[in-house]
Amino acid sequence: MSAAVDTKVDLGGISLRNPVLTASGTFGYGTELAPFLDLTRIGGFVAKSLTPQPRIGNPPPRIAEAPAGMLNAISLENVGVEAFVRDKLPALPDGVTVIASVFGTEPAHYAEVCKRLAGVPRVAGVEVNASCPHVKAGGIEFGQDPRALAELVRTVKRATGQPVLVKLSPNVTSIAEMARVCEGEGADGLSLVNAVQAMDVDVARRRTVLRNGLGGLSGPAIRPIALRMVWQAAQAVSIPICGIGGIMTAEDAVKFLLCGAVAVQVGTANYLDPAAAGRIADGIAEYAAEQGFPRVIDLVGALESW
Amino acid sequence: MTSIPSQAAPALAIRADAEVVENRSEGGANHRLRLRVQGWPGSTPGQFVMLSPGSVGEVRRDDPLLPRPMAVYREHPAAGGAAEVEILYRVEGRGTALLTESAPGEAIRIVGPLGQPFPLAAAAARCLVVGGGTGVASLYGLVEALAAESRPEVLLGARSADDLMAHDDFAALGRPLVVTTEDGSLGETGLVTAPLERALARGDVDTVYSCGPTPMMRACAELAAAAGVRCFVSLENNMACGFGACLGCAAPRPAGDYALVCRDGPVFEASEIAWDGLP
Repeated sequence: MSAAVDTKVDLGGISLRNPVLTASGTFGYGTELAPFLDLTRIGGFVAKSLTPQPRIGNPPPRIAEAPAGMLNAISLENVGVEAFVRDKLPALPDGVTVIASVFGTEPAHYAEVCKRLAGVPRVAGVEVNASCPHVKAGGIEFGQDPRALAELVRTVKRATGQPVLVKLSPNVTSIAEMARVCEGEGADGLSLVNAVQAMDVDVARRRTVLRNGLGGLSGPAIRPIALRMVWQAAQAVSIPICGIGGIMTAEDAVKFLLCGAVAVQVGTANYLDPAAAGRIADGIAEYAAEQGFPRVIDLVGALESW
Repeated sequence: MTSIPSQAAPALAIRADAEVVENRSEGGANHRLRLRVQGWPGSTPGQFVMLSPGSVGEVRRDDPLLPRPMAVYREHPAAGGAAEVEILYRVEGRGTALLTESAPGEAIRIVGPLGQPFPLAAAAARCLVVGGGTGVASLYGLVEALAAESRPEVLLGARSADDLMAHDDFAALGRPLVVTTEDGSLGETGLVTAPLERALARGDVDTVYSCGPTPMMRACAELAAAAGVRCFVSLENNMACGFGACLGCAAPRPAGDYALVCRDGPVFEASEIAWDGLP
């Protein structure tokens, strides 16, 4: 890494040694990737989404390859917040920045998880996974309904003093509107985008490739969409944005920074190369040095106009 | 039932850029790939690797995107402290078609060794090793590792003589070997479960090991269960990472929850799997 470049960024009150996080659901609880990557080399990681109780996922097939991407319908299998605090966090090496992703089918579930995490010293902040269907609002995703999203963010902000990032769904007409709703309710930052709702069909079996039918598309296939949404959200709000969507290389990550993201999350790339996030962190610093930027933060929003 | 002695824990996995030493067709769709891997920690029979052909350093290929799980067929030390890892594969889709294009001297990213190995039966136990299709590739190291006293018998099935993987290698191991082909082009005509049934009927078998298509492994498990014989299977599943992060490779368990094929398997005792729930 280029020693001359200052790589530190602040993501809504979460201080990161560099702007590269790994995305929730692609990095387990950290220990799965530890054999391949020094977790203190990256900015931090967002753990698998937590619910109040342990949760069993969907029946297989849960994943399938897609053009330049993959489909998944895991259904948020997780160990539950209690086991996360008791077993998973202590297993991590010192100096690893952990953001906890929280999830539920009604706002009270999110609040319950946040309250359990409040004051846990290893947790630097929470990320609200707003792509879950809100049971009481008729099953529409929190992230697709401005009123449900506002209620959710308000409830979580009341439940915790930790920095709160809201992870937005791309399956909306106006990402700017959703971003403004979160900012208005006091969110400390935004993470976008989550997977794009999608499906595929196996014609030989005349069935959907996933047992669940619908799934989330991730990987390089969604990167231009994600980049567009990050750029639009960055125009709409002043809270910091963490860009997510098909980042495979440092060059990809830099694009998100130039479009206004303060940090990025590497997701599907972790599967292909469990050392990808470290390589991307190094590459961003090298790019900044080559381009004459003394600080990585100076790249944020540095898109030149035509 | 013979007790299974404890084995040393498998080595911690590595991520490395492996060098292709050889990559050739063995007739039909079967291929043999030899890789030179620096720092290879050594695998145990039943473990697998994830291979990303055409990727070194930065991820350069977006499509097909995901690495492919492959059994370690066998391995041996190579010059300069490296190891040579041998993989048998069949061209079945875009990933394996791409794999055929990796020429000697080129790099392939490898992550492994991954997963839980076959528990080795006690030396005195009598074992049957049953392979079908590409599942044969998971079993060579196991047959080598099983003690001579256990007199392992090998039963290999394929659609045709052309499809049968590594027949010569298995024959050279000097264990009793029965081959079945569905079209009768080699060995007995029919399915590999026929000689399995005959062997189990003798009443002297302690353990069955099986790897192949899911219907074949399920049939092996049911025959073994009916004979009161312990059976280990090595499952396949869609898998994005191979190390327990993506949670994609769920296999249903009788209790209603899921095991991960990559982390808890690929080797399972057959009774740990709810076979009806497999795709």
